[in-house]
Amino acid sequence: MYIKKILLKNYRNYSSLELNFDNKVNVFIGLNAQGKTNLMESIHVLAFAKSHRTTNDKELIKWDEEYAKIEGSIQKRNSTDILQLILSKKGKKARVNLIEKARLSEYVGNFNVVMFAPEDLNLVKGSPQVRRKFIDMELGQISPIYIYNLSTYQKVLLQRNNYLKKLSIKETTDLTTLDILTEQMVELAAKIVDKRLQFITLLENWAKGIHSDITNGIENLSINYKSSINVSEKPELSKMIQEYYDYYEKNKEREIYRGVTLFGPHRDDLELLVNSKDVQIYGSQGQQRTVALSLKLAEIELIKTETNEYPVLLLDDVLSELDNSRQTHLLDTIQNKVQTFVTTTNIDGIDHKVISEAKIFKVKNANIEY
Amino acid sequence: MRYPEPILKLIENFTRLPGVGPKTASRLAFFVLKMNEDHVLEFAKALVNAKRNLFYCSVCGHITDNDPCYICSDTSRDKSKICVVEQPKDVIAMENMRGFNGLYHVLHGAISPIEGISPEDIRIPDLLKRAQDESIKEIILATNPNIEGETTAMYILRLMKGTDLSITRIAHGLPVGGDLEYADEVTLSKAFEGRREL
Repeated sequence: MYIKKILLKNYRNYSSLELNFDNKVNVFIGLNAQGKTNLMESIHVLAFAKSHRTTNDKELIKWDEEYAKIEGSIQKRNSTDILQLILSKKGKKARVNLIEKARLSEYVGNFNVVMFAPEDLNLVKGSPQVRRKFIDMELGQISPIYIYNLSTYQKVLLQRNNYLKKLSIKETTDLTTLDILTEQMVELAAKIVDKRLQFITLLENWAKGIHSDITNGIENLSINYKSSINVSEKPELSKMIQEYYDYYEKNKEREIYRGVTLFGPHRDDLELLVNSKDVQIYGSQGQQRTVALSLKLAEIELIKTETNEYPVLLLDDVLSELDNSRQTHLLDTIQNKVQTFVTTTNIDGIDHKVISEAKIFKVKNANIEY
Repeated sequence: MRYPEPILKLIENFTRLPGVGPKTASRLAFFVLKMNEDHVLEFAKALVNAKRNLFYCSVCGHITDNDPCYICSDTSRDKSKICVVEQPKDVIAMENMRGFNGLYHVLHGAISPIEGISPEDIRIPDLLKRAQDESIKEIILATNPNIEGETTAMYILRLMKGTDLSITRIAHGLPVGGDLEYADEVTLSKAFEGRREL
């Protein structure tokens, strides 16, 4: 799919703007603080009905205005959809082909976007929490039952932690309640890990090939799911439940002593290896950046398998941070396949056919020339 | 705006009721002023009576004005079955079904460490004592299908394992008269997991 046209009204620093896009590569060039990222953000907001930069929708409305409007026409394989999003101080309205959607969940998903911004480098460098969030967000989009299991798990976990605390300060001594909470937790834990393993296998499959392409075949990427139970040869659900059982049974004393649940999917992590070495520890800045990029590009392929259409790729300020060969390979991968938006302060450094054929938009103080 | 003291007191008291905000409370208070005195007295009496004359049944824990309650003392009921519920309201819901002719046991809550509710706080010991009676054959666990209700059901099951009582759990899944297409994925998957052979 690709976005043919966008209309902005009172959005951030734009009073009124209409842009027609190329279905291949579009480049926004401009100095800092001119509104390049705002344009990227508006495409992101059109897709997800929320910004990646802020949780406060009011910030998206132009200063002193009552409402902001984003409208886009999305070309899909067999249809063209008009998406409209109106943000006001009271809330937001979302329409697809002029039909208002009462629930945002019915709106989100009509237009798929993958964004790659500098903060995505945290996917490799950041804490395990960032990587778990990445998996949970992706899986959540595909499987509502996963979200349910995850949120139920979190509720049981809260109860269990609370109870362990009580046991640790000897406010109670009844171990049966702990057993029951453990019993409830292990089943959910196994279901969550089972789904995550399926997802990691798919992700790794795609990311491996992409990473090898970007690095000219020099680097071999592999992704491991790090868990407290043994998941090396993808065990059956019942076997995982048993393993979790044994694990909690064996560590009961320790958990009571510490007063907190020490193991489970909420403590798991992804291990990213390049040529069998952990990039988080041994990788250079550039390698870490490339791994993050490979994961994002793999995400594109995953969405393609789920929805049968390529999403739109947004590259905010990242192209210039890659070296020439990585740039070339990135641009080769997306060439003729994925509609891509790029922001940069300077185009001269990027020497690629894709860029020379791209549609260039010069952004200067909320005015666009092309 | 300042209200005279008596009506302020009345509004304040209505606000304490669940689901009543300040606007509704003042609307109710002004309505009371317009009611004739007999009705107001009747209302006040009903409030006090409900509080004074109702208590929990010493056997099952249901609200009652006689001990044992009208269900426990009904000789036509099947005394071999006990249905375990969380709240007196649940007994009423079950009774409206008219499909169950056994006895009840009201727990007055569910196990929740976060809220500081442990098994001893919710009449589980009483249930164990009742279950020792030889005439009891089946315990039906009808706690809510949420985490706390589920924890409670599993806890009771654990304690009663090894006795020759039959322990059952009410089913959950699709509502009767509903359409499959309107069911959410989670309910549907639960219903699927709990499918049975015909």
